[in-house]
Amino acid sequence: MTVRRIVLALVLAIAVLATAAVAMATRGSATSTSSPAAVGTGTASKAKSVCGLGNGKKATGTPIKIGAIATKQPGTDFTDIPNMANAYFQCVNANGGIYGHPIKYYIETEQTDPGQVASLVRKLVQTDHVVGMVGNTSIIECAINHKYYETHGIYMIGSGIAPECYSTSHIAAVNMGPRYSSDGAVQYEIGAGVKKIVFDQSNVPGTGYIYAGPQAVAKAAKVPIVGFTDNVPIQDANSVAVKLVQAAGSNGGVVLNFTPDQALLILAAVQKLGLTTKVKAWSCSTPCNSDFVAQALGTAWDGIFGVNAELNLPSASGPDSTLYRQVIAKYKPPLAFGLGSFSQMGFVEARIAVSALLNMKAPYTLKRVNQAFAGVKNYHTDILCKPWYFGKIPLHIPNNTDRTVTPNHGKMVVKQGCFNISAADPGIAKARALEKRFKLNTGKPYPVK
Amino acid sequence: MDASTAVRVLVIVALLAFALLALPILLSDYWIVVLTEAAIFALVALGLNLLVGRVGLVSLGQIGLLVVGSWVAARFFFLTGLPFPIVLLISGVITGVIGTLLGLPALRLSGLHLALITLMFAGLVSIVIPTVNFPNGGGGVLGHTESSFGNPAVRRPSIAQSDPAYYRYTVIVIAVMFLLALIHISSKAGRAWAAIRQSEAAAIAAGVNITFYKLWAFALASFLTGVAGGLLAGDEGKLYSIQFRTIDSITLLAVVMMGGIYSLWGAWIAGLLQQLVPALLNDWFGFFERNPDFVLVLFGVGILQVLVTAPEGLVNQVPKDLRNLGRLLARLAGKATGRSRPAT
Amino acid sequence: MFPGLADYKPFLITGLALGGVYALSGVGIVVLYRATGVLNLAFGAIGAMGALLSWTLINHTSSPHWLAYLVCVAFGALVTFAYGVIFGPPLARRDPLVKAMGTVGLALILLGIMSYLWPPKARTMFLPSTSWQYHIGFAGLDVNWTQIIGLLFGVLVTVGVAAFLRYTRLGTAMRALADDREITSTLGVPVRRVEAVAWLGSGVLAGFSGLLLSDLVGLDAVGLTFLVISALAAALIAQLRSLTVTLIAGIIVGLCTALLTPILLWPNATFSVSTYRYGAPFALAIIALLVMTRGRRVVSISRTDR
Repeated sequence: MTVRRIVLALVLAIAVLATAAVAMATRGSATSTSSPAAVGTGTASKAKSVCGLGNGKKATGTPIKIGAIATKQPGTDFTDIPNMANAYFQCVNANGGIYGHPIKYYIETEQTDPGQVASLVRKLVQTDHVVGMVGNTSIIECAINHKYYETHGIYMIGSGIAPECYSTSHIAAVNMGPRYSSDGAVQYEIGAGVKKIVFDQSNVPGTGYIYAGPQAVAKAAKVPIVGFTDNVPIQDANSVAVKLVQAAGSNGGVVLNFTPDQALLILAAVQKLGLTTKVKAWSCSTPCNSDFVAQALGTAWDGIFGVNAELNLPSASGPDSTLYRQVIAKYKPPLAFGLGSFSQMGFVEARIAVSALLNMKAPYTLKRVNQAFAGVKNYHTDILCKPWYFGKIPLHIPNNTDRTVTPNHGKMVVKQGCFNISAADPGIAKARALEKRFKLNTGKPYPVK
Repeated sequence: MDASTAVRVLVIVALLAFALLALPILLSDYWIVVLTEAAIFALVALGLNLLVGRVGLVSLGQIGLLVVGSWVAARFFFLTGLPFPIVLLISGVITGVIGTLLGLPALRLSGLHLALITLMFAGLVSIVIPTVNFPNGGGGVLGHTESSFGNPAVRRPSIAQSDPAYYRYTVIVIAVMFLLALIHISSKAGRAWAAIRQSEAAAIAAGVNITFYKLWAFALASFLTGVAGGLLAGDEGKLYSIQFRTIDSITLLAVVMMGGIYSLWGAWIAGLLQQLVPALLNDWFGFFERNPDFVLVLFGVGILQVLVTAPEGLVNQVPKDLRNLGRLLARLAGKATGRSRPAT
Repeated sequence: MFPGLADYKPFLITGLALGGVYALSGVGIVVLYRATGVLNLAFGAIGAMGALLSWTLINHTSSPHWLAYLVCVAFGALVTFAYGVIFGPPLARRDPLVKAMGTVGLALILLGIMSYLWPPKARTMFLPSTSWQYHIGFAGLDVNWTQIIGLLFGVLVTVGVAAFLRYTRLGTAMRALADDREITSTLGVPVRRVEAVAWLGSGVLAGFSGLLLSDLVGLDAVGLTFLVISALAAALIAQLRSLTVTLIAGIIVGLCTALLTPILLWPNATFSVSTYRYGAPFALAIIALLVMTRGRRVVSISRTDR
């Protein structure tokens, strides 16, 4: 290689490194406030939440192994959820662990290849010997692995996307998923008085399942609804914007179910084309619920864009929300999206798992740990509207009550407090019937430790 | 059969025996599933390897054909109770027919233009499949249903239900396919392809029907891809439009080139590069598990490195490198012991 | 079943905008191909990373906007130039497909780096020209100056580069180089230097296009990187030769794609033409190429003829 070529290679490398330096310096970081010395330590009370036992002692016994599978590929990144769960586990380990046992967390990433997803659960269970699965968030994992969980007696606590995350016996999610969150967005629009609803979603597997929810809700409210799909990544947002506005008409409303970056393409196009006021209402399912969406949208959408929010605001004042922020400040997990629903979900899932582990006795075998997970009911947290539960029931939609938020000067603020997702959606009706029958979210609260 | 061929056959048989008998015992389920996928992709790579290396035709539409093959296989698996191998044959044949149609432009275009028009086909497939989706037990022509309560998985052969058993089944089927490719190469078709690759004008002058043999190459490559699609459907059970991207057709060519197009072993290397290497990286280095984007970067660097320094692919380069290394070590050893060695 | 004529009107405008996007990308790719014989499949990725750098500078530092835009163009120029000078010569004698595969390697490297440094958050690029808007009455929507610039820039590049390639010595040298590097160098043309200029120019184009496309299409690394595949359709219709045909093909492809959008109910609601509209570039390219080459029979004399 000539000298010149070496020099040029160096120049290229320096350019890339400089790029990296610039971007790293500005990459979404958690917070810059100084962290309190003892986070998560103390006695739990109505006003304060602690990490696990909260005794400030480092756990040094034999570890309890937990596993997670999350999607991470260009365009999709769910690793914030297990990364935050890991941070909470670290806090618990620094506060006595599970009666002296630290939690060892194995996070596997997948790139939407069904074979890979199937093999990873086997790796975690058979090779790494995990005794529980907590924090799974994947476009296809529930569909691929639910049978494995059923045959091996694993009760997975995760964040759901695929239908099977909500319709099978061994998976329970802390979020609502695209279908029920879209129901909530549709309910917001019906409440805003629209005379027609246009529902648009990304053309990824499951569109029929997702659309069936909004269809049922709109039908029960006697509002005509029409459903579209659009291939992602969207190349021509302008045409999509015009299509939606044309179909909705001036008395109609548009409901979007996309990942935030794709939803933003449509909304930005709507704004640039001057079509913002051409329909009565705009709303989006929960992926749009984040402050960076609010910032990217700019103030033109303040107050007129309703986003269904499965979890409370990251800035909320309850004890769990406070601990959530404290754990981020102290343990600085690598969060791509900072404070927001992803890390909140990871936090809640980890907390539930730790609670279950603290409410059972050794030995911490796969069978016993998962029985403990399945036994969680009436779990209270200020991050969710209603108590969470697992339970040995045929389907799980434990989070079926949530809020609507709207952007306001670069932040999301609450527009509608906790409301029930409509039972016109048959899935919700079934879930509520099971809740009532098995008293899953009423009565004595789950002892949170 | 002369000595070198006999040795080669023995090596292949030994490797096959090792893969079938020893590996499922030595490796965990995780690695068996990884290797099953590597084998399936080796079969897809074989089709492209034949096209590019033997005939000199480039197709960037092979993943599109893989989609077609898996779709057809899945549909037949759900629609009929036909035995697994029959469905594999059906999907192979149907894909072969479609692939032959894809090869028609090869009669008019060559090189980059042929590659790009096949890429357009892959692009079309990637637009249609998200709307059409894969069959999953539903009715109608498309056989796709979206029930809330989970859909059935594609069935596996009754003798190969578990992952290790299916792995063995897959390896055997693929070995048979490689044998099929080998038979082709040593037959009249192979000689015709070699003539076409060298110089079409000379081939015509020698009386070779280049139209027929070009299309036959596409047909064979597509048949192999169709069979791979059937194996993939059985392996994964559930297929999703999002797992097949247009870019995968392009990276397939890159991986096939990296493996080496002038030897069938290159197809195996391609399959292993595509499926095994990322899994190994994830396993050995937590860094890659947490940051799979860097696997992409490494892949890109690998492509550039192999294209520039190893034009014949790793299949020739690695043995060459090992031989050079061996020579270097021998020379150093000679120097150390004070013996002079003849220059090699 | 079919939308009324009035419903199509806004899509004429969005179609022209999309056409401008395809034309710009297509021309950018063909320009480099005409000058060096390399099909730059990393065109979109280079522009995307430049745009993301600009975005970071604008939103996370107090840099003036013009500097951020300059960084985008400079980045595009630097990366393309460096790639061309480092990997151009070793691959120069190889098949055009091998040279294209090299750029695929570059695209994957950039895509990996971008995904690592910029998680898939929602980001917007709002160029100053986007705030200058005109209302188009008959279509019922606003058009902004960035869209017009995108289209005009495509035209400008086409006319300018075509003239440059035909009428200047350097341009002629580039065309000769792309045709046959060996003979061109024996004729005394400073091959490496000419190539370097071609790569640099193409890089500037990639950077500037990246900036425009991040506003017109969206600041999405994956989307911008894979936009090249659809833009290749326009380039393919021009058989990778004529810049003017690439431009016109891009616009037509964009118009067709957009005009298919309102056909939402035919043949039926689930499988309407609208859901397949992004296949229009691919279908048009296949049809156009088959029509244009009908009656042709490929017979190559020797291997290097490919």
